[in-house]
This record gives sequence, C-alpha cells and structure tokens, in this order.
Amino acid sequence: MKGIAFDLAVSLIAAVFVCLLTLPIFALFTATSFVELVNQFSSPLVLSAIVISLETSLIVVFLALCLGLPVAYLLATKQFRGKEILDTLVDLPISMPPLVAGLALLILLGGNSKLGGLLNNCGIDLIFSKKGIIIAQLFVSSPFLIKSARGAFESINNNVIDASLTLGASKFYTFKKVLLPLAKNGIYAGMVMTWARALGEFGATSMVAGCIPYKTETMTVAIYHNVMSGELGSSVAIALLLTIFSFTSLLIFKSRIRGQTAVIV
Amino acid sequence: MGILLEKISKNYNGQAVLKNLNLEIVRGEFHVLLGPSGGGKTTTLSVIAGLIRQDRGSVFIGSRNVSRLSPEKRKIGFVFQDYALFPHLSVFDNVAYGLRVKKIKASKISVRVGHYLHKVGMEKERDKFPHELSGGQKQRVALIRALVTEPEVLLLDEPMSNLDALTRETIADELKSIQQEMGMTTVYVTHNQGEAVLLGDRVSVLNHGEIEQIESPDELFCHPKTEFVARFIGAKNILKARVIRINQHEAIAQVNNSGLAKPLKIRVKKYPIFEKGKEINLCIHPEKIILKREDKVVDGNLNQIRGKILDRRNNGRFVKARIAAGGMELHAAIPKNIFDFETNENVWVCFAPDTPHPLCGKRCRATETERRCLKG
Ligand SMILES: Nc1ncnc2c1ncn2[C@@H]1O[C@H](COP(=O)(O)OP(=O)(O)O)[C@@H](O)[C@H]1O
Ligand SMILES: [Mg+2]
Repeated sequence: MKGIAFDLAVSLIAAVFVCLLTLPIFALFTATSFVELVNQFSSPLVLSAIVISLETSLIVVFLALCLGLPVAYLLATKQFRGKEILDTLVDLPISMPPLVAGLALLILLGGNSKLGGLLNNCGIDLIFSKKGIIIAQLFVSSPFLIKSARGAFESINNNVIDASLTLGASKFYTFKKVLLPLAKNGIYAGMVMTWARALGEFGATSMVAGCIPYKTETMTVAIYHNVMSGELGSSVAIALLLTIFSFTSLLIFKSRIRGQTAVIV
Repeated sequence: MGILLEKISKNYNGQAVLKNLNLEIVRGEFHVLLGPSGGGKTTTLSVIAGLIRQDRGSVFIGSRNVSRLSPEKRKIGFVFQDYALFPHLSVFDNVAYGLRVKKIKASKISVRVGHYLHKVGMEKERDKFPHELSGGQKQRVALIRALVTEPEVLLLDEPMSNLDALTRETIADELKSIQQEMGMTTVYVTHNQGEAVLLGDRVSVLNHGEIEQIESPDELFCHPKTEFVARFIGAKNILKARVIRINQHEAIAQVNNSGLAKPLKIRVKKYPIFEKGKEINLCIHPEKIILKREDKVVDGNLNQIRGKILDRRNNGRFVKARIAAGGMELHAAIPKNIFDFETNENVWVCFAPDTPHPLCGKRCRATETERRCLKG
C-alpha cells in the first residue's frame, strides 16, 4: 500500500510541475484570437521587430560560428597554459545576469569610453544601433555554440585525426574533411541553441541598444515596451511567435543530438 | 627506405617511457616490435610516425632526418590498433582519402582503390560504411588505406589484437605476402609472440622503454639473452647461478635460486662471458631436460637434480611435466611415447652441460665475436 501512495505522490508533484510549464503557454494562446493575430502581424511595428530580431540573431549565429569554432577546437584538442581561464571565460556569460553584461558593454563601447570614442571617430557607433544588438547577443549566446562544438570535437577518436595526418593531410585539411563532418551534429545543435538564446535575449540588448522603434526594437524588447505602454495585443502576438520559434529550435536540437554524446551546457 | 632511431628519449610527466632507444631497421625488413603492454611500443611507433615528438634523439627514414617533420610529410602508412577508419566515409572514400589529399585525378583514384580493394577481397563492400563491417573487414580497409599511397614505411600498431584467431591468421598471411610483394619497410607492434615468429624477419623486444634484444625470431626463441626476454617468450627453467670455477671446456656454477633448500653445483659448457665469481642466469629449454627413474643410474656426463613430479599435461606430441626440485620448480617437455612417470613420483632431472644457455644481457650486434656466447 505504501508503495502505491508513494507513486501517487510523485505523480501528483509531477503533474503540478507540468501545469506550471503548460498553463502559461496555454494562457498565452487564449489571450488572443485569429483575427487579432492577423491584425497584429500586419502592423509595421511588429513586422519591423520581427525582421530586426531575425536579422540580428542570424548574423549572431554566423559570427558565433566564425569566432566560436576556433575556440572550441582549441579547447577540445590542445593543452596550453591558461586553458582553464579560457574555459571559465566561456562559461561566464551563461551564469552572468544579462543586464550586467549589457551594462559592461555599454560602459566599454559608450561614447565616453576610450574604445567607444575611438570607434566614434571612425564613424562606427555601436550603442543604440543594430551592431550593438549583435554584440550584446553574441556576448550572451556564443558560449552555447562553443560548448556544444567542443563536446563534439572531443568525442572524436584521436586516432582518426592521426590517421588523416599520416595519410598526408595537413591540419587544415583534416579539420575540414574529418573534424567538421564528424562534429556536424554537435555544431548544428550549438547553432540552434545560440540562435534561440540570441532571439530571446532581452537584458543585454536593451541595455546596449535601447528600444528605438524601427531601429533597435527586437521582438523581446517590443514585448516589454508594448506591455508597459498597455498594448497587450501586439505583445501576445510576438510572444506566440517566439514560443513557436523556441519550440521548433528545441525539436531541431533534440533531433541533432540524438545518439550523440555531445555535452550540452 | 630503412628506419633509424638514434638515442630516442621520451618522458611523460617525469616518467621515462623511452630511454635512449636505438634501433636500426633495414630497408624492406619486416620488423616486429614485441613487448608487454605499457612497454613503450605505441610510443616508439608514434615517434617514427611523428605523431609524438621525442624529447631527445633523431629519427631517420632512409637518408632523410625526419626528426622535426610533421607526420603528413613523413611518407608513412600507419595502421591503428582500433583501425581508426573515418566513420563518416564509405570504404571506398576511406581508402581513397590519402590519394585525394594528393589531388590525384578521380579516374586514377578509382582504378588504384579498386586494385587494392580487389587485393584484399573487399570489392563488394566498397560502398559500405565502417559500422557495417566486421572486425576483419575493418582491418583490411585500414591496411589498404595505409598502403594505397605506397608509403616507404608501413607502421602497424597491434593490428590483430581485436580479431579472432582464424581471421588473425588469414590477415597475417595476406599482410606478409603484400609486404613481400611491395617490399616496404614494415614495423609491426605486438605483444603476441606467435605473431612475432610468424611475421618477423627480425624481432626486437621492448621492455620499460628499452630494447632488450634484437634478433631473428628463431634465434630469439632459442637463445633469449635476458631474464625478461626469456620469461616473456615463455621460458620456464631459469637458473640463477654464480660461476665458481672455470676449466678448459667447462665451468662449475653454483645455482642459488630463491627457494632452493641448499645450493646446487652444476657443470656448464664454458662461454666467453664467464668469469670466476660472476653472477649469471642460465636458461634450459624444457625439451632438453631428461627424466630418469630414481633407481636408475644416470650417465655421469649429465647434471642431475633430485625432484618429484608435481603434475603432467598433454601438449601435442609432448608431455609437459612440472617438477619440484629442491625448492625450485622445473619444467620438462618429454616426447609422449617415452614418458612413463606418475604424478608424485620421485625422479632425477638430468641435463647435459651444453644445454644451459646464459642470458648475457648484452646487446647482440651481428659481429661474430659477440655471437659466440650464443653459438658456443
Ligand atoms: N599521452 C600519455 N600521457 C602520459 N603517459 C603516457 C601517454 N602515452 C603513453 N603513456 C605511458 O607510457 C607508457 C608506454 O605506453 P605505450 O607506448 O602506449 O605502451 P605499449 O604500446 O607498449 O602498451 C605507459 O606506461 C603509458 O602509461
Ligand atoms: Mg600500445
């Protein structure tokens, strides 16, 4: 009898948890109607937020790939002094509050700082611009790619890499023809996670880029902005779209890491 | 192209894995590197390949000093213990890899790869992926992948250790005939004495990062020179002794193996390395031991030790007997047709003075003077 009671208790607690996760999403779906959604998605302001978000987050994925793959490769295959430090640095943005990251970026790149001033003189203005959004998102989301790619590189049998070298291939050729294809799934998974994180980024982005409609207002920033000014309708529409995006990316992510030992975050 | 290793040393975290290793392998030789696990075989092979950089010493392939060259420039073929096939490539693409690296024309690659696939009977598997192959098939692919670029030097790291006995034998035959046909210098690493005898032109025995003996397999098995080699190749009767008198043709040695109740004097053929008072190890092949009934008179020319048969075991045409002799254990292999002793029977263990062979421990170079200790 006791065994059944225990099973029952565990199931009940799990049910509470499931409600905690599903009820809010359900609420989101019921807060709107089809007509309302069509209306919202034809509003230029909503569309602009969607375009800005997609544009910046995709550029971030690309940049994370360019900057993150070498770091992942280094961490996975090389022993060097300061490796622990680099490893910790990569983890930092994940545990750091995004607002803090945003503030740090603001101070570094703002017109009053040396670097900001220098960039300003060259005609590059990072604050309150799309470039600022990209930098903020990159800061916060690139660790996901690095960690995933690193795990994928590490799971490759060293002898397979050595085999390529003994067959006359250079390190670069080996990277291209052996490491990349074998780490493919881990890298895709990392890209998807990075994209999802960049898309959902709010704190650092709003710090660095503010919320200038049609210029720096991303989807998340728009949700916040609109709720604050009492326009729940557009917020819900954008939120629903984000939910669908994140659900899709989760599915892609799951399908990519199935049967693969890549360590994710 | 021969291979020359000159004073190679390698440490891992302060632990010496290769100690001042010297090894010369002549062009076209099939050289077997034999030794227990952890002896430094893989490390030696990796140093030749350039996959591991030695701390000190030089590596020559032919007349090229390749000590500082990265692996891709050394023109070698390497077969890994775990095959290390490219899991994302088909059999054909695995084998073609080395040729594609060299930017050889696709039509030529196709012919070359086809030729090698045919050589090991793998044409049918050309489009399969590594995970669809049996161990023996993977091994064949790994082998021809290394051979297809026609390297000057072929290095194999325990290539058969994951295969069943039958496959092992077939692949060993294939490998040996391919090697003889193509004539590349081959270094074959194994911990299996059987493979060493079957394949090697010469065998070197590696222990704790040092080569204990380099020899043809026959010579190695008949005349191990150190206690380690003797034990590793399965020698049983090792007598620790001190030379106490040297006569014209013979020496008297006092055996003092641990466990021996009282020291035991034996007559041994005189070898050049003998000096009065010197501690030596003597090895007697079990086949050279003669057993006599306790009540039989023994030929006065033979050494004789009292013993008792502990157990007996049939082994082909021989009976292998374990004998307790005054506190040490001796092993005899007696032809089945003349063995008629019972377990627990008391016997005389007899051997002629020219049967114990000294384990001299010296490096054996091919010069006659240094071989005299063996040939006598
Ligand atoms: N990368 C390494 N780091 C530390 N120790 C190693 C490394 N590679 C090998 N060793 C040590 O070197 C010794 C010889 O190893 P190895 O050459 O693989 O021997 P074998 O192939 O004969 O079994 C072993 O004691 C092993 O622990
Ligand atoms: Mg090994």
